[in-house]
Amino acid sequence: MRASFYPKTRSTPPVKGALPVLLPYRSPQATQLSLHEKLFNGWTVLALMLGFAWIMVQQVWAQSGAAQQASVPDILLKWTPVLLKGFGFNVLISILSMAIGTVLGVGLGILQVSPVTATRRTAWLITQFFRNSPWLVLLFYCILLIPFEISVFGLDIPFPGWVKAVIGLSLPVMAYMSEYMRGAILSIPSGQWESADSLGFTRGQTMREVILPQTVKRLAPSWMNLYAVLTMATPLVSIVGVSDVMTLTRSALAAESRVDLLIPMYLYILSWFFIYCYPISRLTVRLERKFAVKL
Amino acid sequence: MKILAQLTFGAAALVLSAGIASADKLEDITAAGKIVVGVKQDYRPWGYLDSDGNIVGLEIDLAKDVADKLGVAVELVPVVSSNRMEFLQQGRIDLIIATMGDNEKRRKVVGMIEPNYYAGGANVIAPKGSGLTAWADLDGKDVCAIQGAYYNKQVARDYSANIVAFAGVPEATAALANGSCVGFVYDNTWIESQLASDAQWAEYEMPFVTEQLQPWAIAVPLDELDMAYGDKMRDIVTDWHKSGFLIERNAANGIADNPFLQEQQDRLK
Amino acid sequence: MESFEAFFSWLYSDHGINLTIGYDSYDRGRFLDGVWTTIKLSVLSILFSLIIGAVGAWVQGSPLRILRVFIGFFIAFFRNTPPLVQLYFFYFAVGTVLRVTGENGLPQPLVSNFGWAVISLSLFAGALNVEIFRSGIEAVPKSTIEASEALGFNRLQTYAYIVLPLAVRVALPSLGTNLVNLVKTTTLAYAIAVPEILYASAQIWSDELNVREMMNVLLLSYIGLVAILVWVLHRWEKALRIPGYGV
Repeated sequence: MRASFYPKTRSTPPVKGALPVLLPYRSPQATQLSLHEKLFNGWTVLALMLGFAWIMVQQVWAQSGAAQQASVPDILLKWTPVLLKGFGFNVLISILSMAIGTVLGVGLGILQVSPVTATRRTAWLITQFFRNSPWLVLLFYCILLIPFEISVFGLDIPFPGWVKAVIGLSLPVMAYMSEYMRGAILSIPSGQWESADSLGFTRGQTMREVILPQTVKRLAPSWMNLYAVLTMATPLVSIVGVSDVMTLTRSALAAESRVDLLIPMYLYILSWFFIYCYPISRLTVRLERKFAVKL
Repeated sequence: MKILAQLTFGAAALVLSAGIASADKLEDITAAGKIVVGVKQDYRPWGYLDSDGNIVGLEIDLAKDVADKLGVAVELVPVVSSNRMEFLQQGRIDLIIATMGDNEKRRKVVGMIEPNYYAGGANVIAPKGSGLTAWADLDGKDVCAIQGAYYNKQVARDYSANIVAFAGVPEATAALANGSCVGFVYDNTWIESQLASDAQWAEYEMPFVTEQLQPWAIAVPLDELDMAYGDKMRDIVTDWHKSGFLIERNAANGIADNPFLQEQQDRLK
Repeated sequence: MESFEAFFSWLYSDHGINLTIGYDSYDRGRFLDGVWTTIKLSVLSILFSLIIGAVGAWVQGSPLRILRVFIGFFIAFFRNTPPLVQLYFFYFAVGTVLRVTGENGLPQPLVSNFGWAVISLSLFAGALNVEIFRSGIEAVPKSTIEASEALGFNRLQTYAYIVLPLAVRVALPSLGTNLVNLVKTTTLAYAIAVPEILYASAQIWSDELNVREMMNVLLLSYIGLVAILVWVLHRWEKALRIPGYGV
């Protein structure tokens, strides 16, 4: 779909006009920061956090009459160690899924540009299938249909729920990664292939030593963005019965059973995810800008 | 291509090995030195988390007794209604003791152990003053429920109630508390013990006559039902009834007397 | 219809493939209701998310700093927190506060679970749409805007008649990706018991114990829905194509 709106950058060799002196002069400030960028820095994040804190404190004032009840911040503090453990588990799941998904995705992406038609088509089909299936449905699929134990050559490999959840989350990651990989490989100018060819490199050698190293830079922003998206998808495992920060939050709310706790508690958990994901997306934007200039 | 071949091979191995189960479960359990039991952890006082994070309750007492009688250790795996049978089929657990109703359809999937160890039915917990007096009053109203409960379909069909089913009890009770549904249809056993024990439910009542009474069964994998493992479990449950162990544990967990247990004891004595 | 049902009954009795939605009209009704709910949920969320995107992008270009800051917060919050937790926050937390007294004297929620799902999903996808429209707007040449000003258009008119139509065309590819994502994200409504396809399927496989069959039907249904959306977007893209621009 993209191709119809943008001029093809691939066919034009990057040599022309790439010399810095030939580029038109641009004021560095004007081009570097978008509006959204200017608005967001460490200070505004801090302001946001203070905003959350204020909402919680306000709740306390609102119910200061009922003195015998524990205050909302106290309750939040009391549950923090338990919830942090759950959040740590979410982060662990996200890292494992990302690792598995990246390795599989890179492989699948390379297969997507294979010269063998059948391989290329199969890889494309797998990619499209997992990219267009809802994450939650894939999770259900893995949780309910992967057996608890798989024996390969007499070796019993156990698959507890959380491992299946990791597999379930790594499937869409694999598909997205495969798509990014394909795009990155195709964005390398064909001159690179031709010159490697003329130097007597085989296809495998060209891929490993010339093409893949160059894709890393192009992949970095999308890869990080994908990681943030994945981290925000980890609470889904609570729906399929794997205990995580969301499960614990709901147990905590059930145990306290207080209506005035609901909004602060959910905001509290939301702010944790925000604090974890926001720096990643900031860095993504920065990397995107940095690498975009060089093409 | 190599990777693809490996993937295909891996998938094939996965499919093949899924069907292979070991010959004798009872021997396997003894050899492993532990039995893995699927229990509820959101169903006080049958199975719930105490403040130290341990699962306790009536059914956990039963699970421990099974392990004692087999001379092995017990490992508890929390399950919910919608995944317990899959877990058993996949071998993640060896035994279900999780408030599971015994019916024809389920007998095709898992091995239900007779005699049944407990019995319960469906009822509704609703706020006092909701105006609900008979099941027919649910007509067209939103009723909270739990995914996978056997009576959901019948309540929806017979009384035209609009079932709003959640994955877990905390969500369903939260939805009931915020008024999203007129009541919460669940096991009468659970409702009775909640109303009796928890101040949170002071403004709630159980307005209907309990319906769809169904015996509960512990379950083993279907192909083990007529093997040594199934026989052993039958003996254990029979012994629970005969010796009064179930009645004693029922009372010890603070549950009101269940006439079903007395009946069974009289019958089997 | 009878031979249709007979086929699925035969599939179960002879091959053990238990597709109850084929021969049991109650299950089929539940499933089709689920498909319809997913479609309604998707269409409404897409519509509102597009409105949020268009309005948000307009406000972001506003000279009022406070408005821009507000939109900035909105985007940062919804883009960097999990959609599932947002949904829980709306339904279980905000929904508990927003209540009215019903006719029987008991409090009733102001917004249904379906309503919260639409609101939550629209805001989540809308936040990204603001950014997508924004980048589209930045691609509209300054001279075009100056030309419209010279013709006497005010700021809103310039935006509505000149900038937005051009921006939408530029932004269509990434907009398409986001809308496909939105349709996939409607599955989250399962968590608050909105009877969409996943919920209906889960009900059926809990009652009939045909997990494997329903799971495959479910996956195929979503792929079908996404395919329809991709096709519609493709048609739209074609219809909106600017002559002489692109290939």
